[in-house]
Amino acid sequence: MPRVHDLCARIQNGFRARLHQIAVPDTKMNLAVSNIMYHEGFVSNVVRGNHQKPDETYTPTTNDNVATRRLWLTLKYASDAPVLSRMNCVSKPSKRITLTVHEMKDLTSGRRAKGVQPLQPGEIAIMSTNQGLMEIHQALEKNVGGEILCRVR
Amino acid sequence: MALRHLTRAFTRLSLIPSVRSLSTVTTDLSRLHPLLDHTDSPPDLDQRTPFPVNRPPNLHLQQANEDVDSPLSKQEQARLQKKALVVKRVVNMNGKGKQPSMYALVVVGNGQGLAGYGEGKDEEASRAVRKATQRAIKNMRYFERYDDRTVFADIEHKFHATRVFLRTRPPGFGNRSNHYIHEICRCVGIHDISGKVMGSRTPMNVIKATFEALDKQTSIEDLARRRGKKVVDVQHVYYGA
Repeated sequence: MPRVHDLCARIQNGFRARLHQIAVPDTKMNLAVSNIMYHEGFVSNVVRGNHQKPDETYTPTTNDNVATRRLWLTLKYASDAPVLSRMNCVSKPSKRITLTVHEMKDLTSGRRAKGVQPLQPGEIAIMSTNQGLMEIHQALEKNVGGEILCRVR
Repeated sequence: MALRHLTRAFTRLSLIPSVRSLSTVTTDLSRLHPLLDHTDSPPDLDQRTPFPVNRPPNLHLQQANEDVDSPLSKQEQARLQKKALVVKRVVNMNGKGKQPSMYALVVVGNGQGLAGYGEGKDEEASRAVRKATQRAIKNMRYFERYDDRTVFADIEHKFHATRVFLRTRPPGFGNRSNHYIHEICRCVGIHDISGKVMGSRTPMNVIKATFEALDKQTSIEDLARRRGKKVVDVQHVYYGA
């Protein structure tokens, strides 16, 4: 049951408050989504760390320190404006949205699909497929469909 | 000793020619003195125009000047598309009673990306429209368009109680929107757009909302630069215009 609403809220709030870095819980899902955001250029750095600050040197996660482990994302701003304006969930527990490859092609070429508004220039969508979490264009290259988790603008 | 000092100072002072004449005890009143006598006195006692007035020859009172201080020349200004979208009668209540006047909102554009709007108020409608047109020409700015025909991305903008939705459309779609948005897009030079106004449809606010919405566009290059990505135009290279 992939749910990214917590990450969406934290990232949006961090950008609105013009924070330099934010700490999110260190989970596999959060790490995967943060990696996609980093590769797409919304976030400039993804580092593991403490609840107080990122790690300077590599610190393995053990049973002792697992409660304080966080993921630190360095937020990006350009020309006096945040690079990310909106990050919201698409598939929610109240209404799950799964897309086939054909529907994904519609979304990326400016047509509405399954009640989801088409992607605008500069917008990305993060999909959860059976080959892992990836961006919608990567999923199209691999020809796999899946659940559309969130869209980032 | 003190007297000798004084006489020496006095002689030194009297070396200055203008002062020399001052120091003489006997004054020669038959000749005019350069300093003390005024030679340019009028022959009669009446003062002739003591404060000259430099009034410009043609003064248009109660008439708005046609020339607008703008980078566009007069011929270019005349060739602009001008449309008075709102002309209505407004009333100002004060102690004397109701003071009616005419309000005009004019949208001006050249169809190539330059457009602006201006508001004017006057007793007469024609003068209000003229004031509004001049202000509109002054307030013109350049709006970027994708492919010189449509907006870059779908825009959603809220201004007061008016929500304006502008959507990009493929070439040949046409201008299908609210009649105020239609006129503004014609002046700007946007040929393919789908627009919808939700909420309040007050003409004044729809026009202002549309201009603000077109204002807050970001070009594709800016987006790519912010995210550190390279942007490639596939549409024109592979599929043609």
